[in-house]
Amino acid sequence: MDYANGGIEMPATSEGSLPRPDLPQMLQMDLDIGDFCSNWAHCDLLSAYLARMVSHNRLDSLLFSNLYSSALNELLETVFRVHGKSGKLECSVRRRDGLDRIELVFPADEETFRVYREAIEKLSGGNAEKLYLEALFTEDEPDASLGLLELGVDYGARLSIDRTADGRMCLVAELALEDEKE
Amino acid sequence: MIAEKTTQAFQWTYNENDQEFALHGSLRPQNAEELSGCISELEHSVANVSGKFYVNVRRLVRMNNVAFQAFACKILDLVHGRSDLNVHVTTSSVVGWATRKFAVLETMSDKITVSEYDSEFYPGQSFVEDSEFIHVLRTQTKLTWHHEKDLLRKHGLKPGMQVADICCGIGDFAVLMQKEFSPDRLVALDHSKSSLDYARQVAADFGIKGIDYVFGDAADMLLEDDQFDFVTCRHSLQVFDRPELILKELFRICKPGGRVYVSNEKNSHCLGEPRGESIQWTYNEVAKLWHHFDMDIEIGPKSRRLMLEGGFEDVTIGSFMVTSTDGDPQGFADVIASWKNLFAGKMASERGDDAAFVERFAKGFDDHIFAALHPKGYAGWPIWVASGRKPL
Repeated sequence: MDYANGGIEMPATSEGSLPRPDLPQMLQMDLDIGDFCSNWAHCDLLSAYLARMVSHNRLDSLLFSNLYSSALNELLETVFRVHGKSGKLECSVRRRDGLDRIELVFPADEETFRVYREAIEKLSGGNAEKLYLEALFTEDEPDASLGLLELGVDYGARLSIDRTADGRMCLVAELALEDEKE
Repeated sequence: MIAEKTTQAFQWTYNENDQEFALHGSLRPQNAEELSGCISELEHSVANVSGKFYVNVRRLVRMNNVAFQAFACKILDLVHGRSDLNVHVTTSSVVGWATRKFAVLETMSDKITVSEYDSEFYPGQSFVEDSEFIHVLRTQTKLTWHHEKDLLRKHGLKPGMQVADICCGIGDFAVLMQKEFSPDRLVALDHSKSSLDYARQVAADFGIKGIDYVFGDAADMLLEDDQFDFVTCRHSLQVFDRPELILKELFRICKPGGRVYVSNEKNSHCLGEPRGESIQWTYNEVAKLWHHFDMDIEIGPKSRRLMLEGGFEDVTIGSFMVTSTDGDPQGFADVIASWKNLFAGKMASERGDDAAFVERFAKGFDDHIFAALHPKGYAGWPIWVASGRKPL
């Protein structure tokens, strides 16, 4: 992965900033973007399966799995709606201690990349919550950025995007889903 | 009504009596149109309602933003368009995202309220969560394990199984099962966060690994179907007002061919000599006291009927008596003393019992302790154990 020039990074909306260590990978799933987008239920299936796989050793596996599945599903639904024409979708999940990272690499032309960049820019401003609520209660079709806004505002996720060496894009979400005090 | 897709299923029900519209299951549609049937039913339900309309999402496990937006906008439309209408949304802390997500509705209208349904899951919850009760719970487990260690084998528990202990309380029984039977997987679920905190701490202190302590509602668990070879649920059906709902869930998570094991009491059969009459009177009153709080401490021998009616086969039932002669008369006496504190203390007080009653009520427990510690005495606490197989 090339995190060189052009990477956009959003600080977590919660107080403080999550570190970005090189997190060990737990799982990776690769599939063709066309196959993935052939059925909407793939978002639910993938998120439920991966959430179950990575939740067994958490403080509360059921609660964690439920939250993880919700967050991952929103990311996958966003990719389902906004992606480039053809290529491979890679979904890898990483973790160190209480920090989970979800990386989605998928085909993206400039227009696709722009949609994600604008969504993340909304989160980096001071009125992210207001924008999230506006997107949530719009009379129109849900905006493609709604899921990302929710992750940033509601889950305190730190989101970033970048171009990969092969011309696809990488969407990264870092989350701390478990309250260590629980 | 039930709507099903490849991987998703959700249901909605409307209870006219309670003016409550409830959503259950998983709601992750691609388009809002997929929810049109449910939204229409919501509109239809609310049409004849004035005052407070309840939306219950306690059993809604998954919901994407498409679905949330559709329901949230509909609820906002309703309160904006009807001056006579308020909406209350009830969530559950068991489903991690729900309260946070629905809470934004409160910011959009002062006619919408959102609250987390929690402490009223079970009538006895507030009594058994009392931290002072932990010592007695541990002593109780120690006394019953003496018998149950062998009984569990007879009821089919073997090493290497996938096991769930539902309503695990402070988790000590799960620890004993882990040590004795080395299950491949052991999930221990309870609805008391403080009990689970304690259980995790004990497991960490004792270096016990492999027990997955999870928060959940035994009447509607997030655990998937057909997962476990052996499911235990001890002394818990008796603290629920609707034990058949719990049993249904135990049945659901059990693998076909696996067994569900329940233990329960019939407190009026507690006995002791000397002073048997006083003891018997008090424990008959215990049964009435629990009944007052919608709990059935007499459920033990009814377990067979409950299991047969719950669809189990090969149901076996038996009883054992924890006694003062098992080797720990002081432990037995400590348990009775804690019952006295709870039953003749907090519970009797909440029922509004008068001083004369409480004095006589408490004396029966004192007499039971007297019998337990008397050099020639004998005191007993009977427990019924039943297990049944989920048909293949």
